[in-house]
Amino acid sequence: MATTYRRKPTKAEIRRQRMEELVTYPLDWLEERSGLIGGVRYFLFRNVPADINWMQTLGSAALTAFLVQAITGVILAMYYVPSAATDPHTGNPVAWESIVHITDDLTLGWLVRGMHRWGASVFIILMFLHMGRVFLFGAYKYPRELNWIVGVLILVMGMMEGFTGYLLPWDQTAYWATVVGINLNGTAPFLGPWLAQFLRGGQEIGGETLTRFYSLHMLVIPGAIIGLITLHLYLVIRLGVTSPPWSKEAAGMEPEEEEPARLRPGLTRPVPRPSGASAMQAEPGGQE
Amino acid sequence: MAAIPKEKPSRIDELRAEFARYKADVKERGKPFYPYAMFHDTIMSLVVVCTIIGLAVIWKWSAWGPDHDPLHKGLLGAEVAAPADPGTTSFVPRPDWYFYFLFYLLRIFKWPESVFLGTVGVPTIALMLLIGLPFLDRRRARRPSARPVAMVAAVLTIVSMAVLTWKGATAKEALASEVKQNIPRWIKDEQLPPAARPGVQLFATAGCTACHTYDGAGGANLGAPDLTDIGTRNLGIDFQIKHLQCPSCVNPGSPMPPFASLGDERLKQLAIFLEASKGTH
Repeated sequence: MATTYRRKPTKAEIRRQRMEELVTYPLDWLEERSGLIGGVRYFLFRNVPADINWMQTLGSAALTAFLVQAITGVILAMYYVPSAATDPHTGNPVAWESIVHITDDLTLGWLVRGMHRWGASVFIILMFLHMGRVFLFGAYKYPRELNWIVGVLILVMGMMEGFTGYLLPWDQTAYWATVVGINLNGTAPFLGPWLAQFLRGGQEIGGETLTRFYSLHMLVIPGAIIGLITLHLYLVIRLGVTSPPWSKEAAGMEPEEEEPARLRPGLTRPVPRPSGASAMQAEPGGQE
Repeated sequence: MAAIPKEKPSRIDELRAEFARYKADVKERGKPFYPYAMFHDTIMSLVVVCTIIGLAVIWKWSAWGPDHDPLHKGLLGAEVAAPADPGTTSFVPRPDWYFYFLFYLLRIFKWPESVFLGTVGVPTIALMLLIGLPFLDRRRARRPSARPVAMVAAVLTIVSMAVLTWKGATAKEALASEVKQNIPRWIKDEQLPPAARPGVQLFATAGCTACHTYDGAGGANLGAPDLTDIGTRNLGIDFQIKHLQCPSCVNPGSPMPPFASLGDERLKQLAIFLEASKGTH
């Protein structure tokens, strides 16, 4: 209001205000144009049931394992060479040598590769445990059916990551497991032989198979997994997480049935009076 | 006024009412994700990262530590196996552990009659059931005690997966060095002619016995047929060579890998040996 008297702000107050604007202005700018700040705020401060328990951290644990795979995978891709060609100096395949180089020569290379290798198993185990939790809680039921399906697809994609990644060290274990794996794909009717041919990139498993698996392993399947995880999380935030179904104060639980009370008139329910007396006036203790 | 009998609410109405109640309950007496749930999630994530680092450390330092050899097998396996070599097939194929259950299914469903069930049939049906679960189990009940059928099915699934994984993990492998010890017995049992001698050596060392059994030796990990009396089928040397070069070309859908890399000379030796295998006497 024009009539309100305001004293002139001090220099310190002006400086303080400028500092605040420095932080709030970009945030407001972003919020006005994208609504992202509001989204993050909603994500952080949305309510979850008060009785959620430790089993419900398995999903975010699996996400953490996936992030470990993504980060270590990016680092490995900087040093790994997907080539089945023979190194003329040593007589060993280039891909195999790059794996040995990463593991034995690079500073902390063993840690990055070790985390990627064992992180894969941890990721798979956590996805299975998370699925078991969702099953136990009956959390795949209405309205979360779609999210169950998305989750199963992420699990399948994760196992495909395992299959394609297993070949990359290009050692005997990798090679022969993949020979058998691809031949098994080939036994499927109709699409089988075509799929086997596509995966091999020819009649026999060789350099083309390796580059193909590398591309699938680090571009196609991870891209699909990231998309599916985004959808999965969106649905989790939209629909909320369930309470443990055995919880005494589970969210959404039906109010207690009144049936048992009716069997014991006068104890918990007012006894209906035959005369005009209303139920409101009945003594809780009953007088029969 | 006579009370109009209320219509029983339909299933979807009940579900919607339950979800509305859930949302109201969470709004009313839930707690904010940050910091409560996020605290638990953060602790769990730290445990996960530490576990992964721990596994990497145990793997590296038990494998590399003793004699600085990348092929040395530590507590969690070697850093890497010998380089891939399509020429030597004496290697026993083994997938990563989470495929062991599939791997073992192949021993149950044998080639060629029912291998399709093991490789594609059972896994596809299992996957369909898994994806379709929310539509198969449409009851509202969530408490495990109120879902006996679902719980029993889950326990049976977990037990069978565990058994298949365990069986796959402990499946006997036929190592070339052990298989070779059977050669004198094979020659005696099968009365192999001298012409089949180079072939029998090759058979024992080229990886055939990783999938095939022969006169009581070898592994049937992948359900491949027994070759003890393959010669009685009189398929002919030429067929045998063609089949070894490209099994799926002469036998559509065969999961056997091609062995063309062995070379014509050695393929012929193998074919002679196979044709001479008329069963034990």
